Amino acid sequence: MEEKKFEPRILAFLCNWCSYAGADLAGVSRLQYPSNIRVIRVTCSGTVSPHHILHAFQKRADGVLVAGCHIGDCHYIKGNYMTLKRLKFVEGLLDFAGYDPKRLRLEWISAAEGIKFAGVVREFTETIRHLGPAPPFDAIPLLAGNM
Amino acid sequence: MNTKIRILLQGGRVDGFFAYKTTSGFPFPTLFTLENIQELETWRPTPARYPILKLLLAQARKNPHAAYGILVRGCEERGLRELFKYQQLEQDKVIILGQACTEGLAKYCECWKPYPDALDYGKPAPAMAKSRKVEELEEQHREARLDWWLSHFNRCIRCYGCRDVCPVCFCTECSLEHAELMLGEILPPDTSFHLVRAVHMGGRCIDCGLCEEVCPARIPLRSLYKKINRLIEEILGYNPGISKEKSPLSFLGEEMSLPSGPR
Ligand code: SF4
Ligand code: SF4
Ligand code: FES
Repeated sequence: MEEKKFEPRILAFLCNWCSYAGADLAGVSRLQYPSNIRVIRVTCSGTVSPHHILHAFQKRADGVLVAGCHIGDCHYIKGNYMTLKRLKFVEGLLDFAGYDPKRLRLEWISAAEGIKFAGVVREFTETIRHLGPAPPFDAIPLLAGNM
Repeated sequence: MNTKIRILLQGGRVDGFFAYKTTSGFPFPTLFTLENIQELETWRPTPARYPILKLLLAQARKNPHAAYGILVRGCEERGLRELFKYQQLEQDKVIILGQACTEGLAKYCECWKPYPDALDYGKPAPAMAKSRKVEELEEQHREARLDWWLSHFNRCIRCYGCRDVCPVCFCTECSLEHAELMLGEILPPDTSFHLVRAVHMGGRCIDCGLCEEVCPARIPLRSLYKKINRLIEEILGYNPGISKEKSPLSFLGEEMSLPSGPR
């Protein structure tokens, strides 16, 4: 029987003013990128709370991408400062809890960077494909057979 | 009888003072006022620890105009500072007397500051620069760490004890009770329960360890939060309860407070 190929499920939070526009440009320019990504548009990357990220993993996302305007370009001036502070912290937390921090990725993508967007999605999908499915969040008591 | 506390009470500087009273051989946190002032005891070191800040907070909320005194350890002093920062208590309505922890307790806590700055009783015990428990975990492979945490998290009975005892958990609405984030009635709750709480501890945890102490499932929560503190220090150069300003995670911030690395 043929093994079903692992298709990563990637959730992307894109800020409305830069990264979402960048993704749009990638689309309009007919750039190819994997369809593993599901996009959620947010007003600013600074509105992405660690809760959203954890919730994505809880719901079995294999990778989470957060993308916003470059530092200095945030539509709300300093929103992405918060994004950077939070993401570094959440990365460290995930790592300590035993989840590979490479499953969480932060990128600055401007409205003009359609090519960068497509490249990031391609690369990230490959990274996640290589890592395999994310370990579930369920704290099921270990069965003897699983030990 | 404790003179310092007596003077504060009799001089009218405070309306009440939280200290300890021996009951059936154990020290219990007690609110002393002019009425029970003769029950004040001479200070002596004890390893017994209580959520004494929670008692103060509850009392101060009931009597917002009253001033209170409190006998604090190192961690409790740090907790007080956080409560001041977040306007949960008014600094000029709280008088503190400080006590040092014993060396035994400092070791048990792997405490990096087992004495308050305001030190009135006891001799400061040496601080512990490192946490062996955290280091042991860091040395493991990530996969092993995941199994290790899951093998503990799977005993959680979601009693909220860790949150309820926490001196810096003062929110009136709690994410741990958010219906969509904390799926249904599932027991044990999944990892997000512990990670969400860990996120909330970032920039706030003063490392008193009461969470771990009250946990009926003996989940090593303190190691998780000690690591959180270390991350916050490494990434943002911030120490809850020590740094004067608010946590960099609580405001948008300046460029200089940004973590280093690729932007
Ligand atoms: S953490 Fe432990 S040793 Fe440190 S101040 Fe608090 S009770 Fe004392
Ligand atoms: S105190 Fe322990 S058992 Fe209770 S909710 Fe916290 S981690 Fe779970
Ligand atoms: S608006 Fe794009 S990061 Fe803030």
